[in-house]
Amino acid sequence: MAEDSGAALNPCPPSAAAADGDSTRRTARPGTKRLLLTLSVLLSFLSGLPFLLKSTEIYRSPLPFRSIDSLSSRLQSDHPTLPCRFQAVLLRPDADRFLADRLGSLISEDLVKRTSNDPVSGGCGKNFSVSVTIDSGAGCVRSSVGAGDACLWRCGVADFSGLGGGDEDVDELLDSALREGSECLGSGGGRVYTVVVIERDVAGEGVQVVVGKHRHAWLVGKVSEPEAVSMIGKIFVEIFMNGGKKAGEIGKAEFMPVGADGSVVLSFSLLNADPSDWVYNWEFQKIEKIMLAPVVEALAPIANITVESQVLYHTPKSSISYWDKKLGSYIFTMRDLPFFVNSNEWHLDTSITAAGQSKVLQFVELQKIFQVFIGQLRLLFGLRSNYLDATEMGISRFLNSERGFTEWELDLLYRHHTCFNLLSCATTLESLSKLVQSLPRMIIMDEIGKQVKFSLEAASLALRNASLGIYDASAVSARKARALAEDAFFHPSIMSISYSSIEHYFAIYMPFFAPVSLHVLLAAIKELKRYKRERAKYLTSADQARAAS
Amino acid sequence: MANTLSLYRTVKRLGIPDERIILMLADDMACNARNNYPAQVFNNENHQLNLYGDNVEVDYRGYEVTVENFLRVLTGRHESAVPRSKRLLSDEGSHILLYMTGHGGDEFLKFQDSEELQSHDLADAVKQMKEKHRFKELLIMVDTCQAATLFSQLQSPGVLAIGSSMKGENSYSHHLDSDVGVSVVDRFTFYTLAFFEKLNMYSNASLNSLFNSYNPSLLMSTAYYRMDLYQRPLSEVPVTNFFGSVMKTIHTDSAYTGFSAEPKIKVPYVLEDNEADRMMLEREAEEDKIYSQDKKVGSCSFHAWLRHFQERLEDENADTLVKYGFGTMILLLAASTWLSL
Repeated sequence: MAEDSGAALNPCPPSAAAADGDSTRRTARPGTKRLLLTLSVLLSFLSGLPFLLKSTEIYRSPLPFRSIDSLSSRLQSDHPTLPCRFQAVLLRPDADRFLADRLGSLISEDLVKRTSNDPVSGGCGKNFSVSVTIDSGAGCVRSSVGAGDACLWRCGVADFSGLGGGDEDVDELLDSALREGSECLGSGGGRVYTVVVIERDVAGEGVQVVVGKHRHAWLVGKVSEPEAVSMIGKIFVEIFMNGGKKAGEIGKAEFMPVGADGSVVLSFSLLNADPSDWVYNWEFQKIEKIMLAPVVEALAPIANITVESQVLYHTPKSSISYWDKKLGSYIFTMRDLPFFVNSNEWHLDTSITAAGQSKVLQFVELQKIFQVFIGQLRLLFGLRSNYLDATEMGISRFLNSERGFTEWELDLLYRHHTCFNLLSCATTLESLSKLVQSLPRMIIMDEIGKQVKFSLEAASLALRNASLGIYDASAVSARKARALAEDAFFHPSIMSISYSSIEHYFAIYMPFFAPVSLHVLLAAIKELKRYKRERAKYLTSADQARAAS
Repeated sequence: MANTLSLYRTVKRLGIPDERIILMLADDMACNARNNYPAQVFNNENHQLNLYGDNVEVDYRGYEVTVENFLRVLTGRHESAVPRSKRLLSDEGSHILLYMTGHGGDEFLKFQDSEELQSHDLADAVKQMKEKHRFKELLIMVDTCQAATLFSQLQSPGVLAIGSSMKGENSYSHHLDSDVGVSVVDRFTFYTLAFFEKLNMYSNASLNSLFNSYNPSLLMSTAYYRMDLYQRPLSEVPVTNFFGSVMKTIHTDSAYTGFSAEPKIKVPYVLEDNEADRMMLEREAEEDKIYSQDKKVGSCSFHAWLRHFQERLEDENADTLVKYGFGTMILLLAASTWLSL
């Protein structure tokens, strides 16, 4: 064996070289075994290279960067606005077509003037339509804008003859007359908001304006035309569209109460500092079913609300209170208020990992507490509860609802939250795409890709619903879109510190592959050169032999 | 460790509750076998105050103090099982104080003697925090050698940073406790604490006075602060904005009186389940795959074979693929070796 290998290694077989004694010629064909051997080793290395690259590839789930960019540019250029429709109904003895048309155009102009500054997100933007109906009992006239729309006021349905009761009765009466209209989504989309002007002589009080708890308000009394137009415009814009706030206050969505994943946890704790003194209890379940359940259901499209309650013992106060004789109770000073929650001793944290944080403070009869609590909840969501400056607007009264929020307030919240959630979703997705593109070797898991895809789908669904005017469905989709976008952005695997850079990759693989491949390559090149040289020798000697013979 | 614990006590005394403090301690001193006073940590050689005594809530201790966990706290990217007390639950109105101390150098801070936090990682985390509106104002205080280099890469607005020394300078300890055998407090922290000893939770000393109270000759280094990213003038910002508890209280103007004891309409109370939504994610994946496979139409056999090969490549996971590759290579090598023999 050794002899054979020795002979194979010897480039010039002794017989061939000895024949001429000349190293530039050879008579036998050069062997190809060694060349084939080295070339096959080199080829096997080269054929293994794609396998190596594939197996060490960083897995990056493909993210739809273009869709994200188009969504965010679309939302930045025009804020999503949901359409609303307004109608004014006049109950007066004579129905005049021209009056209806004229009033319609006057009210439209007034609305345009009131919304002339930048459209607030959550308002109806410029996307509203106004129609006027005059119902005289005997006849019924509509302005040209609303003619043919089945969702508007149906003449002759409401019967005001037996009207002697309070505002709640009027409210229910109007609601039953408008019930068909406020539920339907006719042409143009969006809910229908109504102001009913009842012209009759009201003894002494002047004009009475009441805003109901559904989607309408009414004016009772004798008003002149410009006054009526101005009051109707004010109700439409400042109440139904903006919720009683001035235009500048709404746009800032600071401290949105709903957490990033679209949920809110309401946690109620009853604290007892010294249980040896007295043990208190509360009928929380009953009260919660009666008073909180309607509110939770009303707010369901914009927040997934869960309610928890606990009773804590041995929870001493850290602030000092003193007895005030005049009020007959213990008083804390206002300065102590921020430090009242004694977090060292009071374990108020909720049982699950709730995403946001907000502390609502309560002291003290359970029903009264709940009324105050609902007031605080409304405050968190941005709605006032007492409308103190209503008188300066000319509104006599706002009716309250047992669901905690009136229907027009809910509509307002749905619109506002839809807009905010969509914008937040778009900015989050944009941040995510920028982050991902700036780290080209970071692993992106499939889950993130799926979450982004579903988020974009939910956002486009929300935009479609918003343009159609379906407030609650668009609020739900927008909330889902934002929750998915936040989940994708805050996925725990996106840690910039744990991605491997390209230098890292080289540093791992070069120590083995560089020397080995170098040797293989050199060997192949050497063998190839040697083969060419020997072949050249063989060819020249073959030519010579042919020439000689 | 005494540095951090002393500042922790100061901040609690000024009113910040434990739930708003995230304390990360390597925690290797108090129960160290070489500690003459077990379970006690002092910041002064007179041993007047045991910092580790009562009411100390450490959120991350020992092995949990890593650069990765620190960045997770800042950016908010935790695993879902991490409890609320270990998360930074801040929002767009929060003022955050970030105090870091230990050994450091040019553009880094040492963690646990084995890892480093780089300045660009910190800047990146702060940038992500700002994008997600996790803070309104941030004050970063660093007490290490060459501390000012740690925040040199910050770009986000609303950030104020102060370091105990500049590039090329060391930060020194204040005094050595010969009984315990280690230096117990560093100069920068010592003078910071001395400043706060005079204050209580209602005082309104400004940040300017804090920053001006550092005397370079006493510190033996230059306390450098960076205010180019911070809009408000320092003389108007009270220190309790960061070191004390600031809570805006909004009065509830009135109760909402729409409720009666018995509702007219009974509403069923249904708990929505989010699990159904999450499960949809997995089911969608399979549908996707099947759909995409159906779309492929075979045109010629070579393309069909190539496509089949591609599908096989995609379907197999990396291990079997590598095994296939190695098998092929070995076959080739064996064949060529046989040829050469």
